Amino acid sequence: MAAEIEGRRRTYIPMLDEMLGGGMPAGTSMLFTAMPGVASEVFGCQIIAERMRNDGDVSFIYTNTRTPVEIEHVFHRYGWDLRSALDSGQTFFVDSISSMMGMPAIGKYEIDDFKDSEKVVAEAIADIAGGTAVIEDVSTLLDSIGVDQTFDMIEGLNEVARSNDVNMIYLFTRWNYEKVMLGRLSQLVDCEVKLFSVEEKVVYRQVFAITKSNWIEASGTKIFFEVLEPGGVRVFIPKLLVTGPYNAGKTTFAHAIAPDTVSVERQTFELFPTTVGLDIGHLDYKGFSADVFGTPGQERFDLLLEPLGREAIGTFIVIDSTKPETFVRAKEMIRMCRTEAIPKVIIANKQDLPNALSPDEIKKKMALWEGVPIVPVSATDGKGLSEALDTLFSLIYEI
Amino acid sequence: MIPKIASGIAGLDELTGGLPENTMTLVYGPPKTGKSIFCYQFLRQAVADGDLCSYLMTDYIQSQLEQQMMVFDWFIHDYIQDKKLYVIDTASGSVGAMQKETKNMMISSPQNPTDIASKVIQQLQDIYQQTRAFRSILDSSTTLFAFNSPILVIRVLKSYIMRIKMAGGTGIITYTEGTAETEIETMLKASVDNIIYLDSETITIEAMAGLRQESAGYQITDNGIVVG
Ligand SMILES: Nc1nc2c(ncn2[C@@H]2O[C@H](COP(=O)(O)OP(=O)(O)OP(=O)(O)O)[C@@H](O)[C@H]2O)c(=O)[nH]1
Ligand SMILES: [Mg+2]
Repeated sequence: MAAEIEGRRRTYIPMLDEMLGGGMPAGTSMLFTAMPGVASEVFGCQIIAERMRNDGDVSFIYTNTRTPVEIEHVFHRYGWDLRSALDSGQTFFVDSISSMMGMPAIGKYEIDDFKDSEKVVAEAIADIAGGTAVIEDVSTLLDSIGVDQTFDMIEGLNEVARSNDVNMIYLFTRWNYEKVMLGRLSQLVDCEVKLFSVEEKVVYRQVFAITKSNWIEASGTKIFFEVLEPGGVRVFIPKLLVTGPYNAGKTTFAHAIAPDTVSVERQTFELFPTTVGLDIGHLDYKGFSADVFGTPGQERFDLLLEPLGREAIGTFIVIDSTKPETFVRAKEMIRMCRTEAIPKVIIANKQDLPNALSPDEIKKKMALWEGVPIVPVSATDGKGLSEALDTLFSLIYEI
Repeated sequence: MIPKIASGIAGLDELTGGLPENTMTLVYGPPKTGKSIFCYQFLRQAVADGDLCSYLMTDYIQSQLEQQMMVFDWFIHDYIQDKKLYVIDTASGSVGAMQKETKNMMISSPQNPTDIASKVIQQLQDIYQQTRAFRSILDSSTTLFAFNSPILVIRVLKSYIMRIKMAGGTGIITYTEGTAETEIETMLKASVDNIIYLDSETITIEAMAGLRQESAGYQITDNGIVVG
């Protein structure tokens, strides 16, 4: 836990405060930019719910996407009580949706014409000096009042917020907008947090990263998160799987990339050790943190593969480049790990041996995986390790 | 040969050979020309083939879908029980928001595309664990246009179509002609692979891979849409 720094206001998003040096300075703004499909609303909810609970914060939610009634239910599902804060006036709505849906507005302020948004929201900010405002969401504003108007509005609101020590939290879904526009939007705020997914074909993990901050250097470190109901945003440590046929060098490779790896092995008749449990280690590489799980290669352990594959965010398939007859087994193991849908890299191991096949020759023999990168490695000599890590991480994060 | 799947519309596949697999088809036309019935038949074919189906419904809720299909003697109760139908319901509004959601029955609202997209993806993950070939139905994009700025809807639909196709699905999207500006309609058409037009008498295949424009008469009968 980073020490609390004087004047920093916590967001109560795990890891985010640590990375921001304790939280947000008073009067600053934060933009959550979410790729379509990544839950962003919860970030806004969590910040105001936890601040109200822990710090007695005052706040409001400007909404143009969900009705106040819906928002109240969302809070409830996450386990946060919005109702009593609404009743006591600790928080309120700036309702810019109900009248558009032909419903009676709920909230201290209502907006029937988007053009009035700036004026009304500015008034609301003045009501909550020292507090927090959530604006959801920017995408709807952009497509309703236009880019320039929206930008003027954000600029204006941030200024009012600064003089009232209010933290502005903007939620934004990044549909296919132009890059230039996205860059301009990012310049308007003090801090930008990107929410994106790590995926192949379908989203299966969500990640956030600070991509800009005016008060601390943004490391770009990617934090995996999940959203619990109840509970809200929770961080978790991703798992990388190391699998492949018997004796391919999985354990050696796992130790090479994660030196503290613990293995459970037993001597075989041929007098070399074979894995009979899991190789488990932890890896910190270029701001990326992951647990490494190496599987046994022997068929009698195949039942372990499926649950591990479900959890993993990326897989190394280690093969012995001198043993083409084992490649079929490698394919079978991938299938059993259900890793077809997650990023994977083939580790063409034992490249130091004279009869090792080259990546190209291996690629030919494994015609099935046209798109899967093959990285030449010698796990015993420690050669090709960073290429292997870079290749997998760039697939995972699409960087 | 382009792999095709049965549309479920009597007589249509004789004309087209079926809908090209892993593509998105826009079914559009004036109001009351059978677009929703087209969807029911597409779903009924999913039931017959044992395909999973992702169904984004904006104008009716699941029980109403079931009832409307029952009028044609098409039954989806077992299909729902078997958890093969994945519904996102944006029709039940604030009442729905209080319901308990499941993987197969999610509630959203038409004016919250961010939430819709996130739910579509949650369901696709579940579907993708089970199969690479499934069907998708979005009935109707018209409602989305009614609640959002049109250009935002186009962005949302593009992202939706990309997701469905990446996960391996074959889908249809309905749209009521004339509810958005002409340029928006053009953009909508440019976002899909195939276009089918219904005008209450004639069904026209305006675009489909490997086909020339085709038309035929159709009627709505006790067995749904019958072409030819
Ligand atoms: N020459 C050479 N030998 C290697 C390399 N990597 C691993 N080995 C050797 O290959 C043998 C098997 O290595 P392990 O790491 O135990 O293989 P494993 O895949 O974990 O084996 P199981 O767990 O039994 O399936 C050992 O004798 C290693 O020393 C390499 O890059 N080059
Ligand atoms: Mg081993």
